[in-house]
Amino acid sequence: MDSLGRRKFLTGAVLGTTAATVVGASTMGSFAPEAAAGQRRPLDVEAGAHDPNFIEGRITGLRKGMLMVTSSDRSMHRIHLTGATSVWKLRPTSSDAAKVGDGLYARGVRMPDGTLAADAVWLNIVNLQVHITSIGRNVMHLDHHGDRIVGHVVAGTTAAVYNSTPAVSDLSLLQVGKHAQVIGAWRPDTNEVDLATVYAAA
Amino acid sequence: MAAPPDVGAMAPTTAETSWFCCGAGWGPCGSAGGGACGNCQSGSRHCAWPNTSDACFDITRPDRCGDNLLRRTCGHTFYVEHLCGTTEIAVQIADCGPQTDLWCGEQSCCSGNCATNRLLDLTPSAYSAIGNLSSGIMPVRIRS
Amino acid sequence: MIEWFAGAQQLVLAGVLVWAGTVKFRATAPEAARRSALRKLVGERRVVTAYRAVGTAELTLGALLLAPPMLVIESYAAVALFTGMLGYLVYAKRKAPESGCGCLGDKQTPIRGRAFARTAVLLAAALATLGAAWWPAALADRPLATVAVLVAEAALVVALSPELDHRWLLPLRRWRVRVRHPLATGPTVVPLESSVQRLQKSDAYRSVAGLLRSDLLDWWEEGEWRLLTYAATTSDGQVTAVFAVPLRDHGPADVRVALVPDPEPAPA
Repeated sequence: MDSLGRRKFLTGAVLGTTAATVVGASTMGSFAPEAAAGQRRPLDVEAGAHDPNFIEGRITGLRKGMLMVTSSDRSMHRIHLTGATSVWKLRPTSSDAAKVGDGLYARGVRMPDGTLAADAVWLNIVNLQVHITSIGRNVMHLDHHGDRIVGHVVAGTTAAVYNSTPAVSDLSLLQVGKHAQVIGAWRPDTNEVDLATVYAAA
Repeated sequence: MAAPPDVGAMAPTTAETSWFCCGAGWGPCGSAGGGACGNCQSGSRHCAWPNTSDACFDITRPDRCGDNLLRRTCGHTFYVEHLCGTTEIAVQIADCGPQTDLWCGEQSCCSGNCATNRLLDLTPSAYSAIGNLSSGIMPVRIRS
Repeated sequence: MIEWFAGAQQLVLAGVLVWAGTVKFRATAPEAARRSALRKLVGERRVVTAYRAVGTAELTLGALLLAPPMLVIESYAAVALFTGMLGYLVYAKRKAPESGCGCLGDKQTPIRGRAFARTAVLLAAALATLGAAWWPAALADRPLATVAVLVAEAALVVALSPELDHRWLLPLRRWRVRVRHPLATGPTVVPLESSVQRLQKSDAYRSVAGLLRSDLLDWWEEGEWRLLTYAATTSDGQVTAVFAVPLRDHGPADVRVALVPDPEPAPA
């Protein structure tokens, strides 16, 4: 099934417009937190320990379905991507968006051969606590602990969250001089980021 | 009025958490360093706590949001789970943060449950074990 | 050095020193002291005392420069003070790069090039006062030129002080944003993040949250709904969790979910 066909099929399944094989509601309910109370899972990783199922680094090579990554401690890793791996690069996207030089964080399951079967890959994602130093046309200049960062507004994607209210596309309430938290996609080897979400106390 | 309960003791409390990078890293994380405790790593189960020392407290000021946080120093272990999740992780203090007083009163909710004020920051490894990095903030339950 | 110019420098230095000294005795001074690089230099316990001692020295020297007579020792003291300040900035930049300098305001801003440039300007001004007559002579000799130099140098010192940006630069930029509205141009859409937030608050999401393995896989819109998919695992194997989230507030209220088994992977 192509991706459009799959989308149509899934739409029908959730909105009940087509008959699809759907896992029963009882299966879901049994996994609700109340049901799981008292049967806490054992810790996957000890406090303070290195997490074997998580990789931080930059892409040094691409092969079909596989990312070659060098971590900042110079260790090398292979990350296996499948159709069930989510890939984020400013927005949810496909594995084709991965480029050599991209920074990444990946979470998955470490296989016996040392590769990471990835559940989720976040490309170039940054989370910065900043002060807004100036605002220009579709651009915000940010101060990140004394370093200058240029934040680009991407029409249709950049959202603002003011005082924990629902995200909106209207950025006009952002103020020069105020602090903000920025989730964005770093443009490799620059001090520029494309803005995904800006959290601000308006 | 009753004094606010001490946070950071054995009893679980709810709070907001975000994520931060530390140790060697790419992009804007490159300048992050090992944090206030010197050993912080993005790929390890570490966290930042707003009251690790007097100097730390002077910057984060959780008291301005009405939170009475206990002094917990480098290496202390917290157990953290998503407010609507089932997986609990263990994290060790490796840095000072977040700057709680910048976000007093901020709230994150899930399925009718809400948590107020930023009292904890997690490394990407820890945060992504119970949430998604693309969401910059999530509600959690913390116990010591 | 021209006599009237040297006289003007005494006023510039006195003004800056009195300002800097006053800052160190404000109510917020102890906090500013602890956030400054001075804490690294003298230790946590002595930092407030040391900060105020610097403030006292600045106020005293400022007053001496204003008061008659103009002694050459005052110029030497100013040169020594600003040379010491340059040394402090170098130390701070190396040992506590994220700390502020605590110099002209209680706003904590990391030490960068502007702080060095400001101190260099003030050191040059201190050197210019060597051997000069007391400042009223300059004012009487060339009043307009003296006032012009005073205003220009004061503006330069303010421009080189990141601690003072919030008093003039940020209001100026805010005014520019109010006039031009540079971010009000985009189309009004319901951002994806808004749907994700609404999803995460729903009971439907909570009922399957423990099964989800991935972040958002794919999303699209269908009429009043935005569809969001995640990879999930059940006891029956790998499935896709597909959620339907109402696109707008006035649409259907509830978030819906279905778990759909994944198609068998094609043989290699």
